[in-house]
Amino acid sequence: MDTTVTAEVDFDVIVAGAGIAGSVTAYRLALHGHSVLLVERGPSPGSKNLSGGVFYCRVMEEAMPGFLLSAPIERRITRNCLSFLSESSFVNLDYADDRLAQSVTAVSVLRAKLDEWLAAQCEEAGVVLMPGVRVDALVTEDGRVTGIRAGGDELRAHVVVAADGVNSLLCRQAGVRGPEPLKHLAVGVKSVIGLPRRVIEERFNLTGDSGAAYAIVGDCTKDLGGGGFLYTNRESLSVGVVLRLDDLARSGESSAELHDRFLTHPVMEAFLRDGELLEYGCHLVAEGGLAMAHDLTRPGLVVVGDAAGLTLNTGFTVRGMDLAAGSALAAAGVVDAALKRGDYSQEALDAYPRELDKIFVGKDMRTFRRAPLFLENPRMYGDYGRLLSDIMYGVYNLDTTPRRHLAAGAGDALKNSPLALLPTIRDALAGVRAL
Amino acid sequence: MKIVVVFKWARNPLDARVSADAAISWPGVKLAASDDDPAAMEIAAALAAGDEVVGLTIGDGDTAWAAARGAARTVVVTDAPGETDSAATGAALAAAVRRMTGVGAVLIGDSAWDYAVVSALAGRLGWPAVAGVTAACPERGELRVTRRLGAATQALSAAGPVVLAVTANRAEKNVPGMKEVLAARKKPVEKITAADLNTASRYQVQTQGVRFPDTPPARIIDGGDPPTACEQLIAALRTDGVI
Repeated sequence: MDTTVTAEVDFDVIVAGAGIAGSVTAYRLALHGHSVLLVERGPSPGSKNLSGGVFYCRVMEEAMPGFLLSAPIERRITRNCLSFLSESSFVNLDYADDRLAQSVTAVSVLRAKLDEWLAAQCEEAGVVLMPGVRVDALVTEDGRVTGIRAGGDELRAHVVVAADGVNSLLCRQAGVRGPEPLKHLAVGVKSVIGLPRRVIEERFNLTGDSGAAYAIVGDCTKDLGGGGFLYTNRESLSVGVVLRLDDLARSGESSAELHDRFLTHPVMEAFLRDGELLEYGCHLVAEGGLAMAHDLTRPGLVVVGDAAGLTLNTGFTVRGMDLAAGSALAAAGVVDAALKRGDYSQEALDAYPRELDKIFVGKDMRTFRRAPLFLENPRMYGDYGRLLSDIMYGVYNLDTTPRRHLAAGAGDALKNSPLALLPTIRDALAGVRAL
Repeated sequence: MKIVVVFKWARNPLDARVSADAAISWPGVKLAASDDDPAAMEIAAALAAGDEVVGLTIGDGDTAWAAARGAARTVVVTDAPGETDSAATGAALAAAVRRMTGVGAVLIGDSAWDYAVVSALAGRLGWPAVAGVTAACPERGELRVTRRLGAATQALSAAGPVVLAVTANRAEKNVPGMKEVLAARKKPVEKITAADLNTASRYQVQTQGVRFPDTPPARIIDGGDPPTACEQLIAALRTDGVI
């Protein structure tokens, strides 16, 4: 097959979707001197977005040097809590570390602000940004993607980058992937609650621009697969639930009601008291991990970010934005080389997935490939939280009856719970292997 | 004749964030074309009959909006006040129109977002103004204007420069495509300031606060026992004079 495109193009590269993956790809390619069009479906970049908000942003120092100093970040996350919530108890693994403030690997962000800022950096670098454009279809010629079609217009490019999110219609149209099974998808329902800065710092034991992030399982989802989250921003909290679609559909519960139920749980209510609802919305979240991986290239097409299925939920950390930026860096490098050689063939662009495998994106997706299956385990969302709170109750409820050693107390709690010993040990081992 | 179209001179009130204490903020909201702006642009193109259509706007937002719909160039008054003082907005727009020569008509959306700007613009120019305009065409050296008058339409003729405030009666038909938008961005945009126009005035209108209208507190009737709930509802409606 002829691998060079000789026909006139409107841009060297067209990027569809101005989220983190799309904007970083566009920015890097513009820096390399290529003409880049960045189209965004929303009326402005960030307007379609609803991210829970912790960005493991170290990769951005490579993608956009000086990111931490100039980007609109909310807080530097120095406290991470893994919490088990039951109707009446709240057991926390609370990890605070000054070293996290020094190294700054995680920040909370509000995507409406961040995406707009990223797009502004793109425009400064020479990218042509076009919001309010929904790409209807890819244009293909002889099995090669040669442009996009929107509103009856066609624009041509040597390479199209699909950065159109978890539901990527462009990928489906290009035959890169089919519809995802429900168990790979979750729905996130989030509120942003405004509170004065001082109140947030008092309630979460924070100073300056340090921040806290809670990952919560158990009662917040009524034991359904998924979890709750709570992140501190400068003057607001991002809080909500993520619910696995297969579980949600089976249960007949309403995602909005589960969200409201979580926010009015006495533990959460104490965090949110007197706050003002600033934003509310829902979004599809990819949860399938490596199982969602699929081809990332076609002749003239590369896929980045959520559209590429690059999200990871390890139970401790929920990652998407860092993988988006990492994939964007890798894609931009490969597309730059392709443009310089004038070769946009499948073979040329297949350097991109190989590149991903070499960096943290591919490596982490492989390392945590068992995590989604482990997190499918329904015991994770109900029984273990209750067991944990029973053990802690035994430790602290000094009611003048003689205490027992922790191990014996735990054994009692396990006996009184619906859990059996062997599956519990199996789960623990599976957890150690998966996470 | 040369036609000026004023576009994107207000923020969409639906984008405002109204907080619990009634404070209004516009987080990240830019000035936007109103529903009437495309109709004003369509009539402008018809009136110009091949002559120049100039887009005129203020503040932030998409400066290529008019150019994508046929304007040859665009003038932006970058710091014109666009919020509290409608007279100041109108004055800045009028001053920008005055800098141009040979303008036969100024078209502006008859937008409910801020009616007063249209009057202020016409008053500052000292030109006749017609509101509720639904169509206009050149006729024997004059303008033949159709405007909505209640349920009827009225035909008018206007000579000399005039301000036409246009009311849209349908959604925009031919939304510009990507190529038109890209081409529009290459058309000239002249950025001027209120100082260039000598309209940089002290702002005489400032927001001191807003508050919600007084409303009686909501009363919740327990529907556990329907007949009792009905009685309570009827009693409450009688007390409030509704029935």
